[in-house]
Amino acid sequence: MMRPGLMVKLSLLLALIGVLASGSTGYYAYRANRTMLADEAGRNLLTATELLGRRFSVSIDDMAADVLVLATMPSSALIAQSADDLKTSVDRARLAQVFSSFMLHHPGYLQARLIARDRFGLERIRFDRDGHGIVQVQNDNLQEKGQFAYVFDTLALAPGHVYIGPITINRERGAHYAEGKPILRLAAPVATPAGAVVGVVVLDVDLAVLLKLLRTDLPPDYEVYLANEWGDFLVHPDSSQAFGFDKGRRVFMQDSFAATKPLFERTANSVLINGLTNPKQAHDAVLAFVKRPFGASAGNRFIVLGLSKPLSDVLAGANLLGDQIVRMILFSSLAALLLAILFARALTRPLQILTHAATHFFADNATEALPLKRTDEIGTLARCFEHMRREIKSQVVALHDKQHQFAYLANHDVLTSLPNRMLFTQKLDAAVHDATASGEQLAVLFVDLDRFKQINDQFGHSFGDTVLVAVADRLQQVLSKGHTVARLGGDEFVVLVEGAHSSASAADLAADIVRALESDLPVSGRQVVVGASVGISEFPHDGVSARDLLLYADTAMYVAKSKGRGFWQRYGDLSDEQRVKTAYENTTANEN
Amino acid sequence: MAEELTNEPWVLTAHRGNILRSWGREIAKRVFRRVSFSPRTLVAALTFFTLMLCGLPTFAQENVLRVLAWPGYADNDVVKKFEIRFNARVQVTFVDSDEALSDKMHAGGKPPFDVLAANSAEIHRYTLENLLTPLDLGELPNTQRQLPRFRALSSINGLTANSKIYAIPFTYSSMGLIYDRKQIQMAPRSMKKLWNPRYQGKVLDFNSAQHNFSFAALALGYPHPFQLTDAQMREVARKLVELRRNLLTYYTVPEEATAYFIQHKAALMFGNYGTQQLALLRKAGADVGYVIPEEGALAWLDCWAMTQSATNRQLALAWINYMLEPDVSALLTQRQGLANTLVPPPESSGDSAHLILIQPVENIEERESLWSRIVSGDRPERFR
Repeated sequence: MMRPGLMVKLSLLLALIGVLASGSTGYYAYRANRTMLADEAGRNLLTATELLGRRFSVSIDDMAADVLVLATMPSSALIAQSADDLKTSVDRARLAQVFSSFMLHHPGYLQARLIARDRFGLERIRFDRDGHGIVQVQNDNLQEKGQFAYVFDTLALAPGHVYIGPITINRERGAHYAEGKPILRLAAPVATPAGAVVGVVVLDVDLAVLLKLLRTDLPPDYEVYLANEWGDFLVHPDSSQAFGFDKGRRVFMQDSFAATKPLFERTANSVLINGLTNPKQAHDAVLAFVKRPFGASAGNRFIVLGLSKPLSDVLAGANLLGDQIVRMILFSSLAALLLAILFARALTRPLQILTHAATHFFADNATEALPLKRTDEIGTLARCFEHMRREIKSQVVALHDKQHQFAYLANHDVLTSLPNRMLFTQKLDAAVHDATASGEQLAVLFVDLDRFKQINDQFGHSFGDTVLVAVADRLQQVLSKGHTVARLGGDEFVVLVEGAHSSASAADLAADIVRALESDLPVSGRQVVVGASVGISEFPHDGVSARDLLLYADTAMYVAKSKGRGFWQRYGDLSDEQRVKTAYENTTANEN
Repeated sequence: MAEELTNEPWVLTAHRGNILRSWGREIAKRVFRRVSFSPRTLVAALTFFTLMLCGLPTFAQENVLRVLAWPGYADNDVVKKFEIRFNARVQVTFVDSDEALSDKMHAGGKPPFDVLAANSAEIHRYTLENLLTPLDLGELPNTQRQLPRFRALSSINGLTANSKIYAIPFTYSSMGLIYDRKQIQMAPRSMKKLWNPRYQGKVLDFNSAQHNFSFAALALGYPHPFQLTDAQMREVARKLVELRRNLLTYYTVPEEATAYFIQHKAALMFGNYGTQQLALLRKAGADVGYVIPEEGALAWLDCWAMTQSATNRQLALAWINYMLEPDVSALLTQRQGLANTLVPPPESSGDSAHLILIQPVENIEERESLWSRIVSGDRPERFR
């Protein structure tokens, strides 16, 4: 029989285990891959940032070299000192040409100036960049710059050193294109051959151009951050966040990216923020920050450069793998489901055979399919089952034998093996029932031995019993197969005669019985004559019930006995008086 | 001649000097936290909307006080104490410049605040713009504790209009001279000391158009330093170029001033942040003195006022009254180095201190334009 419940459950369970195993493995592989990629990207980004920082330093060094070239030109010191412009006008024009050519060849320079120490830092040569090109600022338009740190701090430097000013917004009025732009100032002292510092050369560098140069090799989706030593953003993808101090509201890197705090506390030189593990600070991005020394003149000054790369780029590979993994999981889940069904079937099949065997317990062929030869637990179970089945079967057979025995004993006389009163009464009832239905006739012959008491008294009970067995044999010899003979008890026998002519044959049969028992009966080497009296009752003539027929046959036997030994009597031939009298005597005799 | 303190002690201001309190990222962070992204604000907003939905908007409105103030005026502990005492919620928005204050006051149709702190010049402007509500002194018993000169409200320009009171003084600061006691033994008496060639390259000035023109006008002895004629303007500009030539440099924030003062051994400085700057300088190791010159020193006065759109006026008045409690006002002096209106300041040069409350100037744009040329180094010939 099919057991879908167990099989379905088992299949589902096994399939679930398979799906879970493959799913979790896939998921962790995906996660591990993402982390690995992000870490890798972080390391690469850090290298890129460091390179960017180095390139930034190199660019500044290049520009510092330019400043030094201008500052160390002999005419620079001459012009810076000269009070009389007419006398030095030729030198001045030539120097101006040099300044102008520097401006021409370096689009990042917004201003190039020679500033005198005296006359309150009056500009002596000045080129500004404007929207169209380079403008030379002259005469009355030249300004006094002595009040600016890039002048008075540079004047304090020894010749050959370079001042690198803070990155800030140029707020100087009349600076043309530079006005309002983020700039970086480089300056160098101008010294006479004697070593006296008489002025400074200042280059204003456009931060935007500098950054564009730095960015050239970077992929377009990289974003650049730059902060000064206090953390003020100088470059930020959102330009409103840069130069907050110039707008009266400072925006700090260490506030936007808390992880960069150690850079400003000087406890770290580089910081990585991974959007995968720190999505709060780096939303969907990987960020690297590197601290760079800035400004050779002041050792404690530095800038912090940062690069960010979108996490989606970094994880593109992981997502591809993720798709692959999902497909793999789907496939392996399907395989797991199939395998689970097969396995569940293999496991439940012997169970089904066992179930079948248990339901058809006594059918011999039921056990044919049992997997008795299997060596596993199922084989053991099958063998145990088979053993148990045999045991039970043999016990059941024994029980049936006993039952038959008991039934025989209940219906037969132990001594003669003839049917007893109970079985005879049943047969008589059945015969009466049949005869009533078919309209046939019946007769009951009641046989009582005449001299049994004397034989019993004379030779003992044991001999009497042997006599009774011999009588039973003799009666069976006399009677044909169709008649039933039974022992009612003591020396009383009864015969049921069935058949259409039972009335006539009953009398003949009674006569035969009387005659047979009048002859010698060999018992244990002796010849005894027991003799018998027979009473006959007939159906339907005398009575229609088994009880009545038996009673009337008994009555008739009494009447026969009263005539002397060896007679037979038909109940139907008795007068009413005889019947009543005998019945009365019979009952009183029975009561006594 | 500028009006004497005794006659008309407080004149108005346009630019203010208490940037010191606003400077530094702690404060910037605080602004950020309190105003925009604080979880408390978020919870408050959620609560507000929940209550709106529940049809209980009056509850939310009754207990919320919206304060517009300068950093240091409404510190967390001060706010908390008020909230507990009045069972109210206070939302503080900080500003760090007059421009920011003005932007906030003019955002939308009505100012989204109940009370604000602003200097007397700004108060005057907002009064004229009909943004403020008159105050009832009966509801402000703590004004009785104030020094007499701050109770004489009608004598302070800008706080009253049509004999109604629109603001209550809260704190003030003067812009005197700071000098190095090692280099200048005798305390300078006059502003003119800034021009003294003896200190050439040792003088620091604050980078601000309005104050420089005003104090230079005082130094020149002009009677109306905030209302200069064209001729006076040119004269003052040349005077300021002259000053520039005597300077080391200009500063914008106190830390910068301190750094220059120490590193370049400056002798004299125009103290835009007044007594607030002294602590910083002394902490950095400078032996400095502070003096109000005989020409008088510019000063600003910050006051509390209530806006027209104040929903819970009782609560707004309670806040103003609370600000004048001795404990709360004393914190200004303790934490910010600012003078309060209840007790005379320790650095005061006595009753003779001649303070001139700054007023709106005749032409901000012109002063700014001239000033940027002065700072950038234009020569005096260009100011004719």
